[in-house]
Amino acid sequence: MSGKLTRQFLIYGAVCLCILLVPVVVDDAFLLNKYARYLVFGMLAIALSLSWGYAGILNLGQATTFGIGSYCMAMFLKLKTVPVHTGSEGLPDFMVWNNVTELPWIWVPFQSTTFSLLAGILLPALFAALLGWFIFGGRIAGVYAAIITLAVMVVANLIIIDQQSYTGGFNGITDLAEFSFLGIDFDAYSASTYYLVAASLTVTLFLALAVSRSKTGLILQAVRDQEERVRFFGYDVALYKTFVFALSAGIAGLAGMLYTIVMEFASPTFLGVPLSLSIVIWVAVGGRQSLIGAMLGAILVTGVQGALSESEAFLETWTLIMGGLFVLIVLLMPKGLAGAIEALVRRLPQAGNGRSARHTEPDHRPETHPNLGGTQ
Amino acid sequence: MTGNREQLLALRQATVSFQGFVAVDRLDFSVAAGELRCLIGPNGAGKSTTLDLICGKSRITSGEIIFRGEPIHTYREFRMARTGIGRKFQVPSVFRELTVMENLEIGCSREPGVWHNLFRFSGGADTERLERLALLVGLQDELSTQAAHLSHGQTQWLEIALILAQDPALILMDEPTAGMTAHETNMTAELFNRLRGQHTLIVVEHDMGFVRDIAETISVMHQGRLLAQGTADEISEDPGVREAYLGSGGIGHA
Amino acid sequence: MDFVVSQILTGLSLSSILLLVALGLAIIYGVTGVINLAHGEFVMLGAYGAWLLQTQFGWNVLASLFVIFLAIALLGWLLEATVIRHLYDRPLDTILATWGLGVMIQQIVRLTAGGELRYVQMPPGLSGSVDILGATDSAYRLFVLGVALGLFALTWSIYRYTTFGLKLRAITQNRAIASSFGINSGQAYRATFAYGAGIAGLAGALISPLKSVSPEMGTTYVVDAFMVVVLGGVQSLMGTLASSAVLGEASGLLAYFSNDTIAKALVLVAIVIIIRFRPQGLFAPRVRA
Repeated sequence: MSGKLTRQFLIYGAVCLCILLVPVVVDDAFLLNKYARYLVFGMLAIALSLSWGYAGILNLGQATTFGIGSYCMAMFLKLKTVPVHTGSEGLPDFMVWNNVTELPWIWVPFQSTTFSLLAGILLPALFAALLGWFIFGGRIAGVYAAIITLAVMVVANLIIIDQQSYTGGFNGITDLAEFSFLGIDFDAYSASTYYLVAASLTVTLFLALAVSRSKTGLILQAVRDQEERVRFFGYDVALYKTFVFALSAGIAGLAGMLYTIVMEFASPTFLGVPLSLSIVIWVAVGGRQSLIGAMLGAILVTGVQGALSESEAFLETWTLIMGGLFVLIVLLMPKGLAGAIEALVRRLPQAGNGRSARHTEPDHRPETHPNLGGTQ
Repeated sequence: MTGNREQLLALRQATVSFQGFVAVDRLDFSVAAGELRCLIGPNGAGKSTTLDLICGKSRITSGEIIFRGEPIHTYREFRMARTGIGRKFQVPSVFRELTVMENLEIGCSREPGVWHNLFRFSGGADTERLERLALLVGLQDELSTQAAHLSHGQTQWLEIALILAQDPALILMDEPTAGMTAHETNMTAELFNRLRGQHTLIVVEHDMGFVRDIAETISVMHQGRLLAQGTADEISEDPGVREAYLGSGGIGHA
Repeated sequence: MDFVVSQILTGLSLSSILLLVALGLAIIYGVTGVINLAHGEFVMLGAYGAWLLQTQFGWNVLASLFVIFLAIALLGWLLEATVIRHLYDRPLDTILATWGLGVMIQQIVRLTAGGELRYVQMPPGLSGSVDILGATDSAYRLFVLGVALGLFALTWSIYRYTTFGLKLRAITQNRAIASSFGINSGQAYRATFAYGAGIAGLAGALISPLKSVSPEMGTTYVVDAFMVVVLGGVQSLMGTLASSAVLGEASGLLAYFSNDTIAKALVLVAIVIIIRFRPQGLFAPRVRA
């Protein structure tokens, strides 16, 4: 048992080390910026793996909290820009174009660095906590919970596009100042930004690993398996689900903030259905029940996509291939690549093991068993 | 018999109806601390529903349920469980994707808070106790086996062990010997006799041999109401019970 | 007076489109329990079918309806046989798989027919307008309304009066027991899926002269159709009819009083609230084991 744990730590550590060492080999600023983007997606995948893989909550609107985080950062950086198009001090350009004369109250606190950085994580978490309580407190699970997350995201997206004078509408928030913190300037096209993202990813990964390994993580897996049963042991299932939902949102929010730094803008497409679908695909491909699998799935898929994006027609074909791959994985490999690799590793040393004979007999049973949990 | 012991659980005029069908009808039923009570009756008598009411799986439409002096029927399920009630379901329900040891850790729910459990990792202080429990139900060699790979009897045992890990004052057992071999059933009877006194048990069972082995007091339900109550011999002499069971071939085969 | 009538007619037209689009989804969901997120793409394919037959062979929309129904039904049959049937025990995975299928279909259309908007001509005999109680309405819209009601009546009769419908109702009640009485639920599911898909294709073809045709058009329709099904209640065809009528009229009014974006957002908020507070009334009839 503990041997397995050590191995897991070693693998996770090795992968993170590789990620952190990339700028030693690569010094092309454009490449680093691209890689940093992939890492942000990896972080998003970790967030979804926690809620979907561990707790069985399929969040089809993971991009909502990602978007909130990215807008928090964008608002903060926008207020740091020297206003070019306006006479009134500190008023973002698009507000002036929309005849807003005074900084709206939602924007005011984003003048503070501390508030902005905290808000980027805590606002999404709070939003998810309220939504989670709304959903799980009403015992809504499975497909219906998924549909609610999707609908809420589309509503958020519509509101942002509609409220143009406060959000920049369809164009989002552009022309941002450079992020600088603790005396370090994070130019989007520099190793410093890459390190910032890579370090955040490492911390997030190990934090998520700790949660998944804790008893709370175990209880969440039990909830995924048989929600009803967990309740009769005295656990407040709704609270557990809300917790992991909010934690996942906080991570997505952090990813959103980093994404704004890397991309130098925020846009309503960040809260879009296509991105949310992509996150689900990455996690399904990598393996939803493996944090590192999900993360690498995201990096792998977006990496290949990035390499192909030179040609427009090819990108369209790529989307088609991804759709097909996704359907196949859902159909044949519900645990993704990580699950397949794990099964392979488990089979190898067991070939000559005496226990395997006893295990083959009850193996027929699992799949056909009627699901007692109802709507999972 | 129950008079000289402290009363642990009481159902008073408990009634539940599902879309007009009255499954439990103004039931008065009480159990004393440390007792092992068997609940029998023909199919559809409302036995499992009564257990559902006590653990919160179903809600009473009227009446009350008092446990340790608290009106628990107003609580949500998890709060009811926290007052010290554990339930073994008729269809064994364990966490099939988790290992036996992980299952036991879930069962051990004295500290049910999210925050508290965030800082608890396996291999903690409970391990020894849980290993002893696994030994008690004969699963000591299966600790890292996934529960989905256990046999039916082993799954029943695992769920019983889960309840013991939970360590509730009141244990509700719904047909614990279903699907067990004669040998396994004997072991279960032995285990229950050992539990009596430390825990209070309510056992719904169809196997009358098993009931005779373990019961001190038997309650008979019929059409949602309590028909008779007494020792095994008193029950089999009772004319009302005989009548209720007539169609199903006598009490021995119920 | 004629304002009221014309407002009602606008609403009715919206209702008929909703009914057409939701009918297929409702049947599939009611019988098999699958939320088919590729449903909008079936609608889109139907519209492209009408466009293709018109531009390539000069077919009138009405002439192409039957061919389109058969083609999309065949596609539904194939998808059920290859993908969906493996997922009946994994509801969460069905929405993922159908979502993925939807993306594929959209992408295939974009790659072959291009991403630009396409337009389909109205059938010449129906391009005029009709006077009703002082208000005028397009003859084609009235025709669509008639077809929607006709299709509904047909579907309802199949469900209610044929042996096949009886089998469907038995399966919906309890799949295991129905199977033990020799009803082949696999076949029934496949037929249902094909029929639902065919109806969606038909809906797309009928809608195509009223709207512009694009690869993304399905997305809106799947949301609308889902809303109808949620509001109407699963396994209740009459509920589908009623909720199409209510929603059509309501969104007609909503669009009149506010802008489109807010109307859309409100509809979604309504979905969320209904799912949250009436899940038992709208979804619980799922008694399948």
